[in-house]
Amino acid sequence: MSRSEKLRQRAKELLASKEVAMVIGYCAGSKPGLSQPAFITRPEEAQRLIFDSTCSQNLANYLLKVKNSGKVAVVAKGCDSRSIVVLLQENQIQRENLYILGVGCDGVVQNGAKSVSCLACQYPNPVIYDEMIGDEVEKPAPDPIVAKNDKEFEQLSSAERWQVLSEDISRCIRCYACRQVCPNCYCPVCFVDASMPQLVGRTHNLSDNMAFHIIRALHMAGRCVECGACHRACPMGIDLMRLNRRVARIVRERFDSVAGVDINKPPALTQFNPADPQEFIK
Amino acid sequence: MKKYLLTRQELSQLLDRLAKETNLYAPVKDKTGATWGKVKNTAEVHLEEVNTREPAKGFIFPRCEVLLRFDQKGNALEPEPPEEQIVFGIRPCDARAIAFLEKFYTIEGKTDPYVKARREKTTFIGLACNRTAPTCFCLALGGSPHDATGMDLLLTDLGDLFLAEPLTAKGEKLIAGYPEAKNEHLTAGAKLRKKAEAEIPLRIDTAKLQEVLPKAFASKIWETLALNCVNCGACTFLCPTCHCFDVTDETVRGSTVRCRVWDSCQFTLYSRHASGHNPRLDPRARYRNRVMDKFYYTVEQAGVISCVGCGRCIIACPANIDIRTTVERLLKEFPEE
Ligand code: SF4
Ligand code: SF4
Ligand code: SF4
Ligand code: SF4
Repeated sequence: MSRSEKLRQRAKELLASKEVAMVIGYCAGSKPGLSQPAFITRPEEAQRLIFDSTCSQNLANYLLKVKNSGKVAVVAKGCDSRSIVVLLQENQIQRENLYILGVGCDGVVQNGAKSVSCLACQYPNPVIYDEMIGDEVEKPAPDPIVAKNDKEFEQLSSAERWQVLSEDISRCIRCYACRQVCPNCYCPVCFVDASMPQLVGRTHNLSDNMAFHIIRALHMAGRCVECGACHRACPMGIDLMRLNRRVARIVRERFDSVAGVDINKPPALTQFNPADPQEFIK
Repeated sequence: MKKYLLTRQELSQLLDRLAKETNLYAPVKDKTGATWGKVKNTAEVHLEEVNTREPAKGFIFPRCEVLLRFDQKGNALEPEPPEEQIVFGIRPCDARAIAFLEKFYTIEGKTDPYVKARREKTTFIGLACNRTAPTCFCLALGGSPHDATGMDLLLTDLGDLFLAEPLTAKGEKLIAGYPEAKNEHLTAGAKLRKKAEAEIPLRIDTAKLQEVLPKAFASKIWETLALNCVNCGACTFLCPTCHCFDVTDETVRGSTVRCRVWDSCQFTLYSRHASGHNPRLDPRARYRNRVMDKFYYTVEQAGVISCVGCGRCIIACPANIDIRTTVERLLKEFPEE
């Protein structure tokens, strides 16, 4: 039985036995090579489910939208499962209302090529699940090109780095697709939407665009699971993973913490450790 | 109207001259496709993509329109008047959208002076689409890959020659002096039109939509149509006809400006009342509003469906929502559901 078939069968059983009220997975989209999040509530609809490399959205995002739907089953790749861990750690969802159908992931594609976040993925298998659909996959070797690009970016002076970021971020149209698809960006009122008083200007100039991106990156420090959902969502093709990878690396190296991989380990920003490096306090 | 002929070389020369004389904008290549850019010569023009990533609406309805300007002492300064500009390479869907914006912003004789002033300063030289994308559906909504609505001049690429059809006095002026097209050229143009139109199989019963949409408003169907939607602004900001704005005051380096900036009905802030109450907090209601607006509200307001079938929202949607599917399902499942 193929993985998609197994998924359909299990979804059908879970719904028929009323163990869950809804299964969140993927179904085919309107164009070949694209899939869509699917919300299945009737056993016979489970036929629509698929899982393959086109299943690129991070479904953990939708768990926050269906909070009142009772117990929900969700299809989770490695990165999706890490987002779920972060949401559990932050008390946004309840574990007992969740049934995780884990899937190993060989990387998702966008415009015919493997997504850049998947090239650097170190957690292709779910870190938390109730059952695995199909086998675990092997961890890919880190992509040399991504590593090389990151290294080159690191070696630039801060003025040059600013220049590189500015070129990209000046093109941002502030549609907030990046924020909206991010499972861990869930504030009821985002700082850019605060209007009394207004915190960030709305005229899409570079400084306001930059304020949005840098504050968002800092809010995501130690919480971003590098799923790449934001990067793929951006209609302007802005390289959001460059910033995300850098922030994640700093958190990893300085605080020995990787977001969403261990549910029992408190996230980096929620604990105070006197031994933390704090040379910036002079 | 009469049609004229230009050789490929004559078109290049014309554009090179226009680039020198005035502000010439055209599709240019960037990291992920084609975008609008100011060009210095024909060589910079990039026409390989079916359409630009962003629509052309910004030329008459910019992302940020400065309405007022003050200095630090509170003296009002004149905002800069719009400059003359020529936009080359606008596609028929986007030009129809320009025509829609002009119409929308003159509803009931109330003319928006900013849109009007910019449109007056702008000349649109359009290019018919001999090739369409799988996301294009202009034909289903009364347009065509060779439609000329909203343009000042429409060019059709016949290979070595371009067929040029002026639609306005501005267009006439640009094409003055070129020879008139012969029957064989007109036939060649008509053939290309037929071929391009044949690439778009979708048909939408727009009359029936007008009956269906008001009935569907309170239906549960939106729960399934819109569950995927994450309410970002990708579809609205990239839509050539989305026209909502907010007004904001900002102080940058000592000078304060009052700007009109694009807004999106997908954002919660869009519908929040001064009291704090938000009548459209439900994300599904926000998606519904977008669909209702395109296919029903603007018909009530301006007499036309405001979706021109450019397909940008389909390409941009991170949840892969396809507005064609939404419309087809509404027509199919309503009112029988
Ligand atoms: S910031 Fe982007 S990469 Fe990080 S968790 Fe959110 S969507 Fe995923
Ligand atoms: S998705 Fe892209 S364009 Fe939209 S706000 Fe985010 S970075 Fe900017
Ligand atoms: S609704 Fe979508 S297809 Fe229609 S005009 Fe707007 S972006 Fe184009
Ligand atoms: S339809 Fe798609 S692009 Fe539009 S708001 Fe919803 S998720 Fe964003």
